[in-house]
Amino acid sequence: MNKVNAHRRNALVLAILAAAVILAVMLYLNINSYPEKPQLHAYIMSLRMPTLVCMVIASVAIGAATLVFQSIVNNRIVTPALLGMNSIYSFLHTAAVFVFGTGSALYLNANLAFGVDLVLMGVVATFVYWHLFKKTGHNILYIMLIGTVLSSLFGSIQSSMIRIMDPDEYDALLNSLVADFNNVNGEIIAFSIIALIVIWAVLYRDLRQLDVIAMGRDRAINLGVDYDNCIRRLLFGVVCCIAVATATIGPVSFLGLIVANLSRQILRTYKHSHLIVGAGLMGMIALIGGQLVSQHIFHFTVPVSTFVTIAGGLYFLYLLLFKKGAY
Amino acid sequence: MNVKDLIKSYGRKKVVNEVSFEVPKGKVLSLIGPNGAGKSTVMGMISRLIAKDSGAIHFEDKDLTKWKSRELAKKLAILTQHNNIQMKLMVRELVAFGRFPYSGSRLTPEDNAMVDKAIEYMELEEYQDRYIDELSGGQRQRAYIAMVIAQDTEYVLLDEPTNNLDIYHASNLMRIARRLCDELGKTVILVLHEINYAAFYSDYICAFKDGYIAKFGKVDEVINKDCLKDIYNVDFEIIRVKDKPLSVYY
Amino acid sequence: MCLSAFSLFLGAIELDIAKLIAGDWEQVRILVISRIPRLLAILCTGVGMSVAGLIMQKLCMNKFVSPTTGATIQSAQFGIALSMIFFPTMGLGVRTFFAFALAVIGTLLFVFFVQKIKVKDTVLVPLIGIMFGNIIGGVTNFLSFQWEINQQLSTYFSGSFALIIKGNYELVYLVLPLVILVFIYANHFNIVGMGQDFSKNLGVNYSLILIMGLSIAAVITASVIVVVGQISYIGLIVPNIVSMFKGDKIRGTLVDTGLFGALFVLVCDMIARTIIAPYEIPIELVAGIIGSIIFIIMLYYKLTHGKRGKKGVKAGE
Repeated sequence: MNKVNAHRRNALVLAILAAAVILAVMLYLNINSYPEKPQLHAYIMSLRMPTLVCMVIASVAIGAATLVFQSIVNNRIVTPALLGMNSIYSFLHTAAVFVFGTGSALYLNANLAFGVDLVLMGVVATFVYWHLFKKTGHNILYIMLIGTVLSSLFGSIQSSMIRIMDPDEYDALLNSLVADFNNVNGEIIAFSIIALIVIWAVLYRDLRQLDVIAMGRDRAINLGVDYDNCIRRLLFGVVCCIAVATATIGPVSFLGLIVANLSRQILRTYKHSHLIVGAGLMGMIALIGGQLVSQHIFHFTVPVSTFVTIAGGLYFLYLLLFKKGAY
Repeated sequence: MNVKDLIKSYGRKKVVNEVSFEVPKGKVLSLIGPNGAGKSTVMGMISRLIAKDSGAIHFEDKDLTKWKSRELAKKLAILTQHNNIQMKLMVRELVAFGRFPYSGSRLTPEDNAMVDKAIEYMELEEYQDRYIDELSGGQRQRAYIAMVIAQDTEYVLLDEPTNNLDIYHASNLMRIARRLCDELGKTVILVLHEINYAAFYSDYICAFKDGYIAKFGKVDEVINKDCLKDIYNVDFEIIRVKDKPLSVYY
Repeated sequence: MCLSAFSLFLGAIELDIAKLIAGDWEQVRILVISRIPRLLAILCTGVGMSVAGLIMQKLCMNKFVSPTTGATIQSAQFGIALSMIFFPTMGLGVRTFFAFALAVIGTLLFVFFVQKIKVKDTVLVPLIGIMFGNIIGGVTNFLSFQWEINQQLSTYFSGSFALIIKGNYELVYLVLPLVILVFIYANHFNIVGMGQDFSKNLGVNYSLILIMGLSIAAVITASVIVVVGQISYIGLIVPNIVSMFKGDKIRGTLVDTGLFGALFVLVCDMIARTIIAPYEIPIELVAGIIGSIIFIIMLYYKLTHGKRGKKGVKAGE
């Protein structure tokens, strides 16, 4: 296959993906939407639109974050979610409410809370993972094991804090603190879009170096990348993206793993600009499609994240066991 | 390039100890020595991949740490031992990365010309649209060297480039290193295990032992019975082939 | 160490009694119905889970394997979910049976799987186990949503001693004979833990003992889960801590491991009850927090101190 063909093929693949996304969006908005009853229709739309926008935002954030992260650590089977970044976010969010109380502005004003979380997350998580990389000498299996344990640690602390805050209303409080697909955090849509754009703009120069960074530390330094600083800034970006995704639709563990790897497999290229677009589109298809299935086949009984966990877990084992080269 | 009093320790062990030498410009210099003598570590430090503990490395009269990474990448290229890139990358794309220090990811026509030249120099034309993970070890090594050529630097550093290559590809590679110096006027620094490759293809040899420099000099000054016995603790016989001193040990 | 364990849990009993005796005679009834069962359940859980972990670690030759990281817990829960779906009216007996069966199957599957593909990396094994458990957990989740028993299940699964009163906890006593069985066969497990060839050489039936050992560990875990719920990390960290001080021979460390496990759970339980009294945090969470912190410290320790050995391996490659 020569280069021109590969390019044309990738463009085609991306176009098909985009078309599939549009199809999914149309289906999602229009199935059972009762257009003949304007009031009901408007009500349904007011429920579906925020969910849709949140899913789109989260897909982009998760896809980009996972790809960037994989290239930073030079490994295809780790994702930020597997290392517990989701749980750190949920933990910090709960901790902020825990410290300031449910009566404070932090609990009542979603945008303020999100801003505080973003800053906290940026500082804490970047520090934690930077330290983890240094300490383990980039030994990926250790990073993963410590990461999984960290995520259960933060999960336990978070549940404990919620129980301490209000032992009777545990479930209600948990629901209000942690978003999920049927309960998206619509208030912060504008803020999170702005946040994503700002991150993108600030890290633009570093993102341009990703193709080289993916070749590994030695090679990147040889080609003149200011490696350590660049990595630290990108890690910060990854952390913020995960924060945005978790804040809008809640934790989805395996989505990043699936879309990042599929994107690499289908788009046979090294160019991150293409890969990130591909992963984002696939994320949208997975989430919106999953939501369609969940809504209309299982009638909301089974949440999308359950499917993603099962499929993602199997895929992960497959990668771990049969793609030895991947780590 | 000039190296002075370089020291590096891992834990309590000093792997490089007060190493000083000057790299002769426009020549081929080989670093040799037993395992763990510190040659690869020195190579890592002069190519800024490994941080030094103390000492100074001057490159074109400027401290190495004072250089901007990108500017240095136009002057000095290193090829390390571990070359397992996990990207879906075609040979031509890999070689094109050599132009990254100059133009980032957007190639100018001059860049493309340089890439063509590098591919041609390494006789990779027929492979240029193949993915690197489909190539044999020897071909892949050539592709990496083509990338280093495309980087168009005055200094080329190769860390054990003959590792994992069979005799045919290894000797080919050594000839290429020689040609980089003779035809393109580059300064080539190699880390080598094979004493005879070093003896046959270099101008200067720097021999390490236990973190110190045991001997630095022209090939004939280093490759002789006494000197080698001192470095490797093995008896050597020296025979001369094409006026080069080759060593035999058993 | 034995002594310290003893004194501490004696202290805990007295603490309870002191609090209760101070009241009137009615309180004694509470003591008999609730406090003593609770204490016994705690002790059995601690002993059982840590012994189960010890066996699994020995048999798999991997210090990071345990009911938590070997898919045993999730398999048992899967079994409970199945029994609730297909035999919703049946009592504890059927439920227990399902939990046992599935726990054994899940654990054996995992271990044979890992042995079959010859995973040599110590850290890869628990990772596979965790993922394996995640998938089973996901399936359980799916089923429970589909049959709308997730409410019921989630209260059932969350590890807590709060609901233990006389009459519904006795199953946990099953742990005792099993632990005694482990003690009798301790040497066999030790030999099997040294590998297939080694045990053949000594005339020990490798597969039989392996299956037996894993089954015992799985059944112990399952009975704890049926009665108490999910408690992670005990089986993982307790045996490791004990072996740091006492060495690796099973029979020598078995008693200490059991006692230390009991102590660990007891301490967790006291923390869980006091921190937001009169409510209590599920012990699952307390054990999760303390356990995972200790586990991370262990990994760090291994990283800092195990480096020399690793380098040697790398150089040899």
